[in-house]
Amino acid sequence: MSAAGKRVLVTGGSRGIGRATALAFARAGNAVGFNYSRSEDDAEATETLAALRATGVPSFASCADVCDAAAVTQLFAEARDALGGAVDVLVNNAAVAQDAPLMMMKDESWDRVLDVDLRGAFLCCRAVLRGMIASRWGRIVNVVSPAAFVGQEGAANYAAAKAGLLGLTKSLAREVARFGITVNAVSPGLIETRLVDEMQGERRKEIERQIPLARLGTPEEIADVIVFVASPAASYMTGSTVHVDGGLAMR
Amino acid sequence: MDRDHVRSEVKQLLVTGLRLQIPAAEIADDVPIFGEGLGLDSIDALELVVLVEEQFRVSIPDEDVGRKALASVNALVDFILAERAA
Repeated sequence: MSAAGKRVLVTGGSRGIGRATALAFARAGNAVGFNYSRSEDDAEATETLAALRATGVPSFASCADVCDAAAVTQLFAEARDALGGAVDVLVNNAAVAQDAPLMMMKDESWDRVLDVDLRGAFLCCRAVLRGMIASRWGRIVNVVSPAAFVGQEGAANYAAAKAGLLGLTKSLAREVARFGITVNAVSPGLIETRLVDEMQGERRKEIERQIPLARLGTPEEIADVIVFVASPAASYMTGSTVHVDGGLAMR
Repeated sequence: MDRDHVRSEVKQLLVTGLRLQIPAAEIADDVPIFGEGLGLDSIDALELVVLVEEQFRVSIPDEDVGRKALASVNALVDFILAERAA
């Protein structure tokens, strides 16, 4: 089922869903790279890279900010060298949240979240497309959120960015379909990651009560679906969203 | 590199790369590559950008440059020669 033998890049891969996804691709026999943005992620990135190396596939990690166009160009050049060719599978997973009710939201919080969660994905897609068109094969998987579909109190910036990423997903899917490139979204619900841990306790409990499967998901449960979407088994799927959210959104 | 040589390479690339159903020799130098001319669309242009960049080692970074460079065979030849001279 897995897309073995491909070159995969996962953004925001040092921890959480990104790390689980990088590892799942590596265990399936793909060369895997990831980036991480903040210097404080160094220890986690080192740990993730060691886990990737232990699987025996070519792997690499780079500290690069996805909203910096020059850094993104550099990242994909590094990936090409380290993985032995252009990236075949891109997972746009890097995301931040800076919650506040919209009335109280700072300009910087709006801009930062849109920059990382939306512009970052745009820049990474643009950076991989030439290689994918040249090989007439590619898989792009964008990690979105139920917030994109049903909104989220206190996270208008995040919901807007993820809804924007869905628009990008569908538009790009149309643009590159004829080249054998598929572009899909995976929408994880509430997952045990730091991004969710940062949520305030009351809101988290409230959301948990709304999950039909009555529990948070694990990063591995998302990673498995992302690997599936990039696999030959999902070859007739593009512009779609797979909801992996315990029944939260039911779209 | 001489203009006639680049021109024939460009036409050959259009035919083989974009799978045109006409012989390279029948492509007029000034016919628009996209739209009415050769019947190619703006998405075909993406593949042409990749092919031209690869074969001629030039960069067509964005829509503005692409629109001019890919206007016609002549325009593309001019662009390639100018980029290589730079």
